Amino acid sequence: MIRLDPNLLRVGAMTLAAGLGAYAVRGWDGVARGLAVAADLLVMVGPAVVAGLALAAALRVLVPPGVLARWMGAESGARGLLLASLAGLIMPGGPLAAFPVVLVLAQAGADRGALITFVLSWALNGFQRIVIWELPVLGADFALLRFLVGLPLPFIAGWVARRLPIRWTLEDAPARGTRASDSPRGTRASDSPRGTRASDSPRGTRALDEPRGKQP
Amino acid sequence: MSLSLGLMVLLAAAALLTCFRRGTASGRRALVDTADGLKRILPLILLALPMAGFIAEIIPADWASDWLGPDSGATGIAIATLAGGVLPGGPFVAFPLALAFLKAGAGPAQMVALISGWSVLALHRTITWEMTVLGGRFVALRLLASFPLPFLAGLLAEALLPFFPGAALR
Repeated sequence: MIRLDPNLLRVGAMTLAAGLGAYAVRGWDGVARGLAVAADLLVMVGPAVVAGLALAAALRVLVPPGVLARWMGAESGARGLLLASLAGLIMPGGPLAAFPVVLVLAQAGADRGALITFVLSWALNGFQRIVIWELPVLGADFALLRFLVGLPLPFIAGWVARRLPIRWTLEDAPARGTRASDSPRGTRASDSPRGTRASDSPRGTRALDEPRGKQP
Repeated sequence: MSLSLGLMVLLAAAALLTCFRRGTASGRRALVDTADGLKRILPLILLALPMAGFIAEIIPADWASDWLGPDSGATGIAIATLAGGVLPGGPFVAFPLALAFLKAGAGPAQMVALISGWSVLALHRTITWEMTVLGGRFVALRLLASFPLPFLAGLLAEALLPFFPGAALR
């Protein structure tokens, strides 16, 4: 049974609109050609989607993003940026999930360069999005080309961000989440009264999926 | 095409195996995660793929090839970057649209710039989420550090294009 989530309805409505458009412009032939293209794509990329989902799920079990945070401090150098790239790569979900995780990583000690790298890596090369959307829709060659080209970019951005004269700390975040707001400027998560370090629990990042209730 | 698929299947199998070697619970969690993901996205894919096909039928024939064609070079890459940056909506809009453009004659490097611009600049997502969760300073820092990158991605893609003949699509 297919659950009717809003995303599904939105996509369904857009597809319906596009179908009507195709009918209006090219008639039934256009609609049939569009459907044939879709069927071809599905057959071609179905196996890749399953394999990609399994790979992403296994990576999340093996390397939860929070675990990497303690190696992403300001002194972490290039290695910290590489780890931040990896964390962004395996970070699942949309902006609702990813931006709160930035707060978790910042609290666990990641510096601004690593945070910028993380956000860009998630936005550009997030594995889940590539597997679910890019691979099926645009094909393996295109997806691979764009992935290879995108791979070094988050690293560059983090490197640049470390040299820009704009400081950013948790204090500058309007929605600091429930835990981040507990610790005064500059203290680490380990000093915070709650003592729950995201980096210690494999599911720690999930817990921060809902601090949007705190937004102004 | 089949080479990258084979590589992917191999990687996935190896990763799952590693999970199981760490413990049955870890392995099972990865499998359940996979099944959950599949259940969630399969309906989306089934709905979105026809959209891509339909949009390709709608776009005027020479529009995409004129502005974003393979020969449009750096200008086309710049246009695509900006268009991607202001493109609203999630992946269910961006990817079908890129496919439709490709089928209508746009160049792959230009579409790499479009997807990268949509990912990196993402005006819509930046204003709605990044600003409210992380604040204006973070947005300023991130945009300053990354705004030329989608354009760079397009140029890099153009240079690498000979190695990915399938990227131009059908």
